[in-house]
Amino acid sequence: MNKYFREFSAAAALGILLLALAIFAPSFFQPQPLLSLATREAPTLVVACGMALVIICRQIDISVGSQFAVCSVCAGLLAAMHWPLALVLATTILIGTTFGAFNGALVAGLGLPSIVVTLATMVTWREGLRWLRQGVWVDLPNGVQWFGLPQMTGQWTLVLVALAILILLALTLKHISIGRFVYAVGSDAEAARLAGIRPRMMTFGVFVFMGALTGLAAMMNTIQSPQVDPNSGTGLELKTIAAVVVGGVAISGGRGTLWGVFTGLLLLACISPALTHLHVEAFWGKAIQGATILLAVVADGVRTRKQRY
Amino acid sequence: MKQLLQLSAVTKSFGAVQALKGISFDLQAGEVHALLGENGAGKSTLIKIITGAHQPDGGTIEIAGERVEKLSPVAAHKLGIACIYQQPALFPDLTVAENIGLRLEGANSLSRVDWNSRRNQAQKLLRRIGADISPDAEVRSLSMPEQQLVEIACALGAGARIVIMDEPTASLTQKETGLLFAVILDLRSSGAGVIYISHRLEEIFQLADRVTVLRDGESVGTRNVCRSRGDETQTSQSESDKRLLTSSPTLTESELIRMMVGREISQIFPPAQSAPGETVLSLKNLGCTAGGVKNVSLDVRAGEILSLAGLVGAGRTELARTIFGITPADAGEIILRGEKVEIHSPQEAVARGIAYVPEDRRRHGVILEMPVAQNMTMGIHRRIFPGTWLRFGAERACALDFIRQLDVRAYGPEAPGHSLSGGNQQKVSLARWLATKPKVLILDEPTQGVDVGAKSEIHKIIRRLAKDGLAVLMISSDLPEILGMSDRIAVMRGGTIAATLPGKSGAHEVMSAALGQKGAGK
Amino acid sequence: MDKHGFKKILLRHETILFAVLVAEWIFFEVIGRNFGTYDNTCDILRHSCEIGLLALAMTPIILTGGIDLSVASLLGLCAILFGKFWRDAGMPIPLAVACTIGVGALAGGLNATLISWLRLPPLIVTLGTFSLFRGLAEAITRGVDTFTNFPDSFLFLGQDRWLGIPAQAPFFLAAAIFFWLLVHRTTFGRSFRAIGFSPEGARYAGIPVARRVAMVYVLAGIVSAIAAIIYTARLGQAKADAGTGYELFAITAVVLGGTSIFGGVGSIPGTLLGVAAIAVLHSGIAHALLPGEMAGMLTGVLLILALAGSTLPKMISSLRARKAALKIPPQAA
Repeated sequence: MNKYFREFSAAAALGILLLALAIFAPSFFQPQPLLSLATREAPTLVVACGMALVIICRQIDISVGSQFAVCSVCAGLLAAMHWPLALVLATTILIGTTFGAFNGALVAGLGLPSIVVTLATMVTWREGLRWLRQGVWVDLPNGVQWFGLPQMTGQWTLVLVALAILILLALTLKHISIGRFVYAVGSDAEAARLAGIRPRMMTFGVFVFMGALTGLAAMMNTIQSPQVDPNSGTGLELKTIAAVVVGGVAISGGRGTLWGVFTGLLLLACISPALTHLHVEAFWGKAIQGATILLAVVADGVRTRKQRY
Repeated sequence: MKQLLQLSAVTKSFGAVQALKGISFDLQAGEVHALLGENGAGKSTLIKIITGAHQPDGGTIEIAGERVEKLSPVAAHKLGIACIYQQPALFPDLTVAENIGLRLEGANSLSRVDWNSRRNQAQKLLRRIGADISPDAEVRSLSMPEQQLVEIACALGAGARIVIMDEPTASLTQKETGLLFAVILDLRSSGAGVIYISHRLEEIFQLADRVTVLRDGESVGTRNVCRSRGDETQTSQSESDKRLLTSSPTLTESELIRMMVGREISQIFPPAQSAPGETVLSLKNLGCTAGGVKNVSLDVRAGEILSLAGLVGAGRTELARTIFGITPADAGEIILRGEKVEIHSPQEAVARGIAYVPEDRRRHGVILEMPVAQNMTMGIHRRIFPGTWLRFGAERACALDFIRQLDVRAYGPEAPGHSLSGGNQQKVSLARWLATKPKVLILDEPTQGVDVGAKSEIHKIIRRLAKDGLAVLMISSDLPEILGMSDRIAVMRGGTIAATLPGKSGAHEVMSAALGQKGAGK
Repeated sequence: MDKHGFKKILLRHETILFAVLVAEWIFFEVIGRNFGTYDNTCDILRHSCEIGLLALAMTPIILTGGIDLSVASLLGLCAILFGKFWRDAGMPIPLAVACTIGVGALAGGLNATLISWLRLPPLIVTLGTFSLFRGLAEAITRGVDTFTNFPDSFLFLGQDRWLGIPAQAPFFLAAAIFFWLLVHRTTFGRSFRAIGFSPEGARYAGIPVARRVAMVYVLAGIVSAIAAIIYTARLGQAKADAGTGYELFAITAVVLGGTSIFGGVGSIPGTLLGVAAIAVLHSGIAHALLPGEMAGMLTGVLLILALAGSTLPKMISSLRARKAALKIPPQAA
C-alpha cells in the first residue's frame, strides 16, 4: 500500500468536493468570497500545524480553543490600550507560549496524560476568561483592523503568513533533525531516549510551540474585525484535530504530513460554504463534520485491519 | 591483548535490594566473553551499568584503560559501547534507513537531514551483515528477527568496540543465527569485544572465548572455554550446523550449571512412561492462510508429549494459534476425541478443553499488573464464578492450591505478576491453563528465558501432567529439551509437517528434517 | 475486597477524596448561606443525577482503556428525539422513553462497532460521534426547535420529590448499584480491567474482548438516553444543546475518583465521590455567592491536583530509593 494513501485519499475527497461544486454551484468559485474564506481559516491552519506536531508526538491538546480565546481578548485589550501592534503581537505570542509551557510542564514534567491535563486547562482558562470578561466584547481602536492596511492587502498578508508557516514547518519536519525527533518521540519515546534524543524536552517543546502558534493565530484572528469576541475559538480544538486526522496524521503518533493536514483543513473548511451554495441547510454542518471524521478514521482502520480481538 | 573494559568492585542497589555486590569483569579486544547466570543474578543490571543506563553505587569503570565517571547512554555510545536487546529499540513508524540514521547521527537538533546519505549508509550496513532488508521498509512491517538485524547494523555502523548481545538468538531462524555468528566472529577478528548473554549453553561453547558466571549479584568465576577451534574464519553455514548437531553436554557444561545454581542439577529429564492412551486431538489437512499453516495432519494422544520441533519461522506457533482459535483455520479439520469441531476464537477453544500457554509470557501469558490469583483464574470464570459473581474465597483457595502444586515463589496470591521472576511467571501462566482442566495442553517454548533451576521443575511438572492423562503438544526450540522430553517428535518446515519421529531420535535426524535435508525421517 | 498492592493505593486515593469532600462541605457550610440544608442537599442530588449517570457509564469504558467523548452529545440527541417521539409522533410517554433508550443503544452500538469491531482508536471515534450526534440534534431541530409542555406526571420525575427525596434519586441509586456490582462483583468487571491492562493478554486468556468492549459502549449509550430523559424532566424542556459540556464533568469525576486514564485501575465508589465533589463544589460556590465560573476553574484545578497527587507516591518512593542508595558505602574491592 502506498505510504501516503491517507493523504491522497483526502486530496481525492477534496477534489471530488470541488468538482461537485464546480458542476452544481459554480458561484462558489468567486475570488473575493474565496479570499475571505481563506483569511478566516488562516488562523485555523496555523493552529492545525501546531496540533499536527502535538499529535505526531503522541500527545493531544484540547485546550487550544480556550488558549485562543484568552490570547484574542488579551490582544484586543492591549491594542485598545494603544500599544504598538508589533508589541501586541509579541506579547500575545508570549501569553500563548506560557499556556503551552504550563501544559507541557504537567505532561512532560509530571508524566500526566495529555488528554486529561488539557481537559483541565481548557475548562480553567475558559471559565477564568468568562469570569473576567463576563462575555463583554472588546472594541478595537481604528487602525488595528488589518494592521491599518486596506482589507485586501491585509487578507493576503494573513493568508501568505499562514502558508509560509505551513511550508516552513513542513520543510523542518522533513529536513531538519529536530523535526525528525518529533516523529521519533511519537513513534517510540524509549527508543528515542536510547538514541540520545530527550523525549521529555521534545514533548515540552511541542506544547510550548503549540501555545506560541495559538497566540500568533489569535492575533491573526483579532485583526480581522473591529471587535474581539470572547467566545472566539469555540470548537477550535475539534476543528483542528479533525483536520489533522482527516489529513492522515495517526492518533497513535509517529506518522503524518503537514500537506495532508492542509488538505484535511481545506476539505473541512469548504464543507459549510459548499453546503450553502448547494442549498443544503447550514445546521447540517456539525453532523457532516462528525461524519467526515468518522469516514476518515474508518478508511484508515479498514486499510490497516490487522488481527481482530 | 588490549583491555577494552574493566569493571572493578561495582555495586548497585535498588532501594533495599542489592543487585550487584562487588563485581569485577573485564573484556579484552578480540574476544567473545559470555555472561551466564540465572534470572535475577544481576546480568541485566551489569549490562545497564556498562551502557550507562544506570550509575553504579560503588566501584570503578575503565574503558580502554581510562577511568570513566558518570557514564551516560550518550557517553557510552560515544565510547563505542553498543547493546543489542531482545526487544529492539527501533521506531516502528519510521524507515530502516531513518532508524539507522537517527541512531548513528547523534542528537544534533539543528542539522540538515541528508536523506541520500542515510539511505546509502543503511544499504551498506545491511549488505555487510548479509541482511535482505530494504532500507525504505517501515520497521513496523519487519519481523522481530529482521528488526534485530537492523539493530546489529546500527551497532556496526556506530563502530562499536564493545558490543553487548542479550539473548540475541531467541527468535532467529537457523539462517539468521548463522549470519549473527558470522557477524560476531567478524567483530572479534576486527578487534572488537563481544559480551554475549545467553541461556543456550551450546552457543556459548560455540562462540565464546571466556565465560563469566554470575550468581546472586556476585561473580562466581571466569573460565576459559576450551573447545576445538578449527578454522573459524572459513566457517560456512553447514559447519556451524554440524557443530550444533554434535555438541553434547561435557564436563565443563555441568560445571557451568553448578556455578550458576550453586548445586548439582542434572540435565536428566524425567523419564517417559508407558504406552499412551487414545487419540485426543487429531488434525487433518489443517490450513490457515493468514498464519501460513498448510496441510498439517497430526495426532496427539492422551498421556503423551508430542514435541513440535522446527526452525523459527517453520509455523509452529502459527499452528498453535490456529488450533487455539486466535487465527482460525480456513481449511481442514480439527477432531477432538473423535468429534469434528470448529474453533473460531480462544473462548471456543477453551470451552472445548484446549489450553495454550503462549510463547510471550509477558504480553500474552500473564497480565503483569494483576495479582497472581486473578491471573490464575482468568481462564475459568465460567466455572469458578457461576452466574458471573466473583467469589474471592474460592479464587484465593484455587490460587493457593496451584502455588503449592507448582511451587510458585511469590509473596502471596495477591502479589502482582510483575513482582515474580520469569520462571515463576511461566508457572502462573501454566497454572491458569491447568485450572481449565484441559484435554489438550499446548505449550509454546515453556522454558524459554527461564533459569536452569526453574526449567527442571517445569519439565517435571509437564511429565507429571502427561502421566495424569493430558495430551501435551510442546513447541520448543531447545534441542536437548525436545530430545529429553518427547514421546514423539513432529518436525515442521515451511508451515507443514516435514516428518514425524520417535522420541528416541537423535539430534541429527531432527535437524535434518527441520532443514529439509535428504535422509531425514519418514 | 481483594487486597493487593495497587488496590491499597486506590483505597488511599478514595480516602483522600472523601476527606476532600468533607472539607468542601464544611467550608461551604461556613461561608455560604443555606448550604447545608436538607433542601439544598436534595438540590445537589437532583442536579448531579445526569452527570452522575454519565460518569457511572464512563467508568467501565475508561477501565478498558478507552474513552467516550460522545456521551453528552448523545444526551442532547436523545433529549430532542424523546421530545419528537412524544410531540410529533404522538407516542405516550412510556413508549417514547422506550424508543429513546433504543436510540441510545443504537448510537452506543455505532461507537461499539467502530471501536471494537474495526479496532479504531476510541478517542478519535468518539470525537467524531461527539460532533455527529450533536450535529444531528441541531439538524433535526433546525437549531431552534424546543420541546416543552410535558405532562406533569412526567415532570414529577425531574422536579418533585418522592418520599422526601428527589424523584430521580432512586434511578440514580439503582444505576449506581448496578454499575458497582458490574465492575466490582462480576466477571465482566474483572475482564474490563484485564482488557485495560493488556487487550492482547486478555484475548489469549480466552476473554471475549470484542464483546466486552462493545458492551461498555452500548451501555453508555443506554445510560445517556436515560440521563437525557431525566434531564428533560428536570428542565421541563428538550433542546439540541442539552448536556453541553457534561462529558468533561463526567471524565473529571471519573479521574478524580482514582480511575486511571490508561485503564485497569479504577472504582465506582471513587467515581461517585468524584461526582459528589464536583456537585458540592458547584452548589457551594453558588451559595457562597461566588461567581459561577469559579466552580469550573476550581474543577480544573482539582483535576490537575488529583492527577499530580496520584503520581506523587511514585516520585517520593523513587526519590527515597535514590537517597538510600547514596547512603550505602561502596564495598571494598
